[in-house]
Amino acid sequence: MRPSSWLIVTATVALTAVATGCRREGPGVAAPATAEGPRRGGQVIIGQPTDVSTLNEYQSAGDSTEYAIIDLMFPTLMVEQPDYQLHPPSFAPRLATSWEFSQDNRILTFHLRDDAVWTDGVPVTAEDVRFTFTVQKDRQIGSPGLEFKDFISTVEVVDPHTVRFHFTRVYPYQLMDANDGHIVPAHAWGKVPFDRWRTTDFEPIMVSSGPFRLASHNPNQTLILERNPTYWGQPRPYLDRLVFRVVPELSSLTNQLMAGELDLIQGIPPREAQRLRGDPDIEIVEFPSRKWGFVAWNNRDPLFADRRVRRALTLGINRKAAVDAVYHGFARPAVGPVLSSMWAFNRNLPQLPYDLAQAAGLLAEAGWRRRDSDGALVRNGRPFVFDLAYPATNTLRAELAVLIQADLARLGITVRPLQMEFTAFVAATETGEFDALLWVWEEGTRVDLTGVWSSPSETAGSNNFIAYSNPEVDRLISASREEPDYTRSKVIFDRIQEIIVEDQPVTFLYEANEIVGINRRIRGADINAVGVYFNLEEWYWGQ
Amino acid sequence: MKRLPARAGALPLRLQLGTLVLALLAIVCTIGSLLSPDPAEIVDPRAAALLPPASQRWIVTLRDGTRLAAEAVRRDEDRWTILRRGGDQSLPASEVAGLELRQFWLGTDTLGRDVLARLVHGGRISLTVGVFSLLAALLLGIGVGMASGWLGGWVDSVLMRLVDGLMAVPMLFLLLLLAAVFRPSLGTLVGVLAFSSWMGVARLTRGQVLSLKQREFVLGARAIGASSWRIAWHHLLPNAVTPLSQDAVLRLGDLILAEASLSFLGLGVQPPVPSWGNMVAEGQTLLVEAWWLTFIPGLAVAVTVVAAALVADGMQEIARRLDAGR
Amino acid sequence: MLRWLLRRIGAGLVMVWLVATATFALVSAAPGDITQRLNDVRTPPAARERWRRDFGLDRPWGVRYISWLGDAVTGDLGYSWLHHRKVAGVLAQAIPNTILLAGLGLLLEIAGGITLAVVQLRRPHGKGDRAITLLSLTAYALPPFVVGLGLLYLLAFRFPLFPPSHMLSVAGETQHGLPRLLDLLHHLVLPVVAIGIAGMGGVARYLRGSLLDEKGQQYVLAARARGASERRALISHALPNALLPLITMVGMSLPFLVSGSLVIEVVFSWPGMGQTMYDAALARDVPLLLGGTVLATIAVVAGNLLADLAYAIADPRVRL
Repeated sequence: MRPSSWLIVTATVALTAVATGCRREGPGVAAPATAEGPRRGGQVIIGQPTDVSTLNEYQSAGDSTEYAIIDLMFPTLMVEQPDYQLHPPSFAPRLATSWEFSQDNRILTFHLRDDAVWTDGVPVTAEDVRFTFTVQKDRQIGSPGLEFKDFISTVEVVDPHTVRFHFTRVYPYQLMDANDGHIVPAHAWGKVPFDRWRTTDFEPIMVSSGPFRLASHNPNQTLILERNPTYWGQPRPYLDRLVFRVVPELSSLTNQLMAGELDLIQGIPPREAQRLRGDPDIEIVEFPSRKWGFVAWNNRDPLFADRRVRRALTLGINRKAAVDAVYHGFARPAVGPVLSSMWAFNRNLPQLPYDLAQAAGLLAEAGWRRRDSDGALVRNGRPFVFDLAYPATNTLRAELAVLIQADLARLGITVRPLQMEFTAFVAATETGEFDALLWVWEEGTRVDLTGVWSSPSETAGSNNFIAYSNPEVDRLISASREEPDYTRSKVIFDRIQEIIVEDQPVTFLYEANEIVGINRRIRGADINAVGVYFNLEEWYWGQ
Repeated sequence: MKRLPARAGALPLRLQLGTLVLALLAIVCTIGSLLSPDPAEIVDPRAAALLPPASQRWIVTLRDGTRLAAEAVRRDEDRWTILRRGGDQSLPASEVAGLELRQFWLGTDTLGRDVLARLVHGGRISLTVGVFSLLAALLLGIGVGMASGWLGGWVDSVLMRLVDGLMAVPMLFLLLLLAAVFRPSLGTLVGVLAFSSWMGVARLTRGQVLSLKQREFVLGARAIGASSWRIAWHHLLPNAVTPLSQDAVLRLGDLILAEASLSFLGLGVQPPVPSWGNMVAEGQTLLVEAWWLTFIPGLAVAVTVVAAALVADGMQEIARRLDAGR
Repeated sequence: MLRWLLRRIGAGLVMVWLVATATFALVSAAPGDITQRLNDVRTPPAARERWRRDFGLDRPWGVRYISWLGDAVTGDLGYSWLHHRKVAGVLAQAIPNTILLAGLGLLLEIAGGITLAVVQLRRPHGKGDRAITLLSLTAYALPPFVVGLGLLYLLAFRFPLFPPSHMLSVAGETQHGLPRLLDLLHHLVLPVVAIGIAGMGGVARYLRGSLLDEKGQQYVLAARARGASERRALISHALPNALLPLITMVGMSLPFLVSGSLVIEVVFSWPGMGQTMYDAALARDVPLLLGGTVLATIAVVAGNLLADLAYAIADPRVRL
C-alpha cells in the first residue's frame, strides 16, 4: 500500500471517531422531571464484572448479582425486609397478599393475589408455586437451595389462589424457608424433563413475571431488561430499560462510571471510592454488607491446633491498621462469627487488641522460642513458617496478605503469601490442603451457625473447612436451632460467640461495606443491604 | 572458521549500543538489587502510598518500631511536629528513635513500596527467568534439531511431526491450566517458557544441519571415518553458531516478553515477588491515577527487548558483511 | 499432490486428537472442578455432590474421556457446563468477534509492516531508515498489554476520543445498518491498533531483511539496468519475492485468528474466544475447553496446510 493511501485511511478513521461524536450516553428518551415527582422513561446502564450464566435460578450457582437480576424478573411469595438488625427479618407481601400459620404451626397457608400474570398472559397460580417446589426438591436439578426445603414435606394447591406448605417440624425460619426461591412458570417450563434442566437453554422459552422482562441478551456483552407491560405490582416501573453491561476489568468499571458510560456499579474498590467522593455527577452510597473477611487457620495443622497459638496470631496482627490501609475506612473490624449488623450479635464481645507482648507470651507458653541466630520463632528446631493463600481475583486481598506478613515477621514468624487460582483455591478448602487462607464470605440474613462452626461429621460434607471442633459449641448450636423464640435463642447465640472468640479458630479481620456508585440524577433509589435493586421499580431520572 | 574484520571499530553501531544496554541492565539489576532497599519493605502504607516519581519523604522511626512517612518535620525542644497526610501530628521527642530522608525516584505503589527497588529486583528475576529458559530451550532444541537433521529418515519424520504438533498447541490455554495444576513457581515458569520456545530452535538447527550435511568438510570428515558425535561437535555446531546465536538473542527478548505477559495474566511470577509483568498487572487498576506503576515496568521490558533485538541485528549485519567479503 | 494432501490431513487429525487428549488430561489433573462455583457459605457441600453426579464427574476419567471422544467424532461437542448451551453455540458466538478483531489486526500488521519496510529501503542506512527501525523495534518490543493500556489511557480516558471497551455502545446495540457499523468501527480502532502496532514492527523488521537480500539479487540489478527506477525495481520486482515467506507467516497466524490475543481481549473487554476460553479454564468447563482447543488446533493444522499450498502455488520452484 502506498504511504499516501495510508494517510487517507488514517484520516478516515480519525474523522469517523470525531463524527461518531460524544461518548457520554444520556438516559435515552426521558420526559423532563418536574418538581412534583417521578417521570416515566429512560434507561439505567449498570456495569458488572461477569455475565449472567443463566436466568433460571435453578440452574444457577447462586451468584448474588445473578440472583439480583432474577429477582427483577420472577416473583417470590413475600419480600424480605431489611430489618434484620433488630430481629429475624420480617416480610412484606409480594405474590402473596397474606399468610397464616395453623394452630400447631405446622401448616402455612398463603393467599395469592388474583391479578398476577406471566408475560405470556397466563395467570400466576398456586400450581406454579407447587411446581416450583418440585423443582426445588429435585435432586437431579440439584438446586443449591434444596436443603432449605428439608422440613417442608408437601406444597398443596387448595385453590388457584391458595397454597399450603406442610412442615415436618416447627422452627424459627419456617417463613424464610417457604419463601426461598423464585416462582417459575409451570405451564412453560413444566414441559422440560428434570433430567434435561442442566443442559437446556431457557432463554428461548423465557416466561417471567416481574417488574422487568428480558428484552435481549448478547452473551458476555449486554443483558437488556425492559419494563414489563403486564406487571401487576405497584408501582409500575418508571424506567423503560435496564442495561447490564459486562466489563470484566475492575478499573474499567470505575473509569467508565466516571466517564458517564455507566450509571451504576457495585463493589467499587475503596481507593476509587475516596476519589469519587468529590465527583459532582456521581453519588457514593455506602452500607454495611454481609461480607466479612478472615484469616482461616487450618485447625488440623499442628501449627495451629493450639488455641494459644491462634490467639497469639490474632494479637500479633494489627488488624485495625491493616484494614484501614487497605480499605480506607470502608470496612469495620470484625469481632466474631456473627455480623455486627445482625440482631443476634453479642454487643458485649471482648475485642482482642493488638498486643505484641501478649502474643509473644502466649507463643512462649506454647513452646515457641526465638532463635538467637536470626530471631526466627522455632519449636523443637522447626521454624514457624506457613503459606498464607488467597485467590488471585482480588488485589486488596494481596495487600492484606503482605501486611500480615510484615506484622507477623515481628514475632519471628515467616509468612509466605501464596496467590492461587480461584478454583484451585476453593478446591483446597474442600480437600483441607492448606495452611492458612485469606477469604471473604457473604452471610445470609438467616443466623444459623451449623454449617460453618459445628464439628464436621464423617459422613456429610461440611463448610467447616478448618475442622474447628468444640463439643460445647456443637451442643449450643443444636439448642439454638430448636428454639423458636428469638429472644431466647439470642442468649444462646451470645454464649456461642463468646466461646468462639475465645477459641479464635479464625482471625476475624473485617466486615466490608458495600460501595455503590450511582449517577446523581437517578432519584428514588433505596439502596440497602438486602439488595442494590431493592426498589428498582421506584427509580426515575431527575434533573 | 570465520574471522571478524580486524578493525574493531567496524562493529556496527547497533551491536555496540545493544550490548551496552543489555550489559547495563544486567549490572544494574544484579548490583542494584544488592544495594537498593528491600523491595518488600512497607513503610507506612497510609501515608506513603502512590507517591509520584521524584518524591521524597521523611521517615520517622518510633521507639516501638512503627514508621511514619511525613512530608515535613520540625523539632521544637521536646516535641516533634510532623506534617503527615495533610495534617499536623505532634509527638514527644522521647518517642522518636530515628529520622531519615528517603528519595522515591520512581514513586511508590499502593502499599508504599519503593518502585525503583521493585523494578530492580523484578528486573533481576525477569532477566534470570529469561536467561534460564533460553538455556533450557537451546539445550532441548539443539539436541532435537541435531538428531533430527543428522539422522534423518524416520527419526527426522517423527521428531518434526512432534515439533509441528507442539507448535500447533494453543499455548495460552494450556498455560492457564498448567498454572492451576502446578502451583506456579519460578522453576515451573522457566520450564513452561522453555517448553513453549524450544521448537523454533529445533527447526532452525535442523535446517542448518541439513544444509551443512552436504558441505565439503562434512563429507570429507565422513570419508575419513569420523564418528557422528565428533562431526556434530567439531564441525556442525561451530558452523551453525552464527545463525543460532542470533536467533538465541532474539529469543531472549521474546522470552522476556512472554514472561511479562504470563505474569501480567497472573500465571508467571507470583506476587509479592516482583517481576516486571506482575508490576504492570498490579498497576493496571490505577492506570489513570498512578500511570508510573504501569508504564515504568512496561518500558523496562521494552528497553530490554529492544537491546536484544539490536544485538541480534548487529550480528546479522556482521554475518552479511562476512558473506559479502567472501 | 493428492497423496500429499491426504497425508497432511491424516497427520492433522492425529494432531487434533493428541491435543484434545492432552487438554483433557490437564483439566482432569487440575485441582477443582465446575462444582467449585458453589462456594457460597450458605451452600451445603451436598449441593456440590449433586452437581458432580449430574455432570458425570463421579465417573472415572477413562469413561468420561471415551464418552466425550465418541460424541466428538460424530460432531457433537456437548453442552457447556457454564453456559447451559451447546458448546458449538457458545463457540459460534465468540469466534466471529475474535476473527473480526484479529483479522483486522493482522491486516493492519501486514499493511503497516510492508509500508514501513518499503519506506525504509528507499534509502537504506539513512536517517529515515534508522529512525523507523528504532520505532518499529520499540513497537515490537513493547509488551502488547502495555501498548493496549497506553492507548486506553491516552485515547480513551485522557482524551476521550474512542470507547474504552466492548464491541458496540449501548445505543449501538439496538441500531441496525450504517449507524451500527460505524459504532462497531469506532470500537474496533483501539484494539486493532494495539494488535497492529506490536505486529507491524515485527513484520517490518523481517521484511526489511528479506528485501535487502532480494535487492542484491541479479534480477533486480537487471531491472535497474533496463531503466527501472529504484522504487519500481523494489516494489515490482523485489517485493513479490520477498513476500513469499510472508505467506508462511500468514498461514502460521491462522491460529491467532481463532484463539485471538487474549491479553488484548482482556484489556478491552472484547467478547471473543480469548475471554471465553479464559472463563472456561477458570470454571473447569470441560466440554467448552475441549471444544475450543479442538477448534484452535484445527485452525493451526488448516493454516499450515493452506500456507504450504499457497507457497507452492506462488513459488514454482517448490514441489510438494
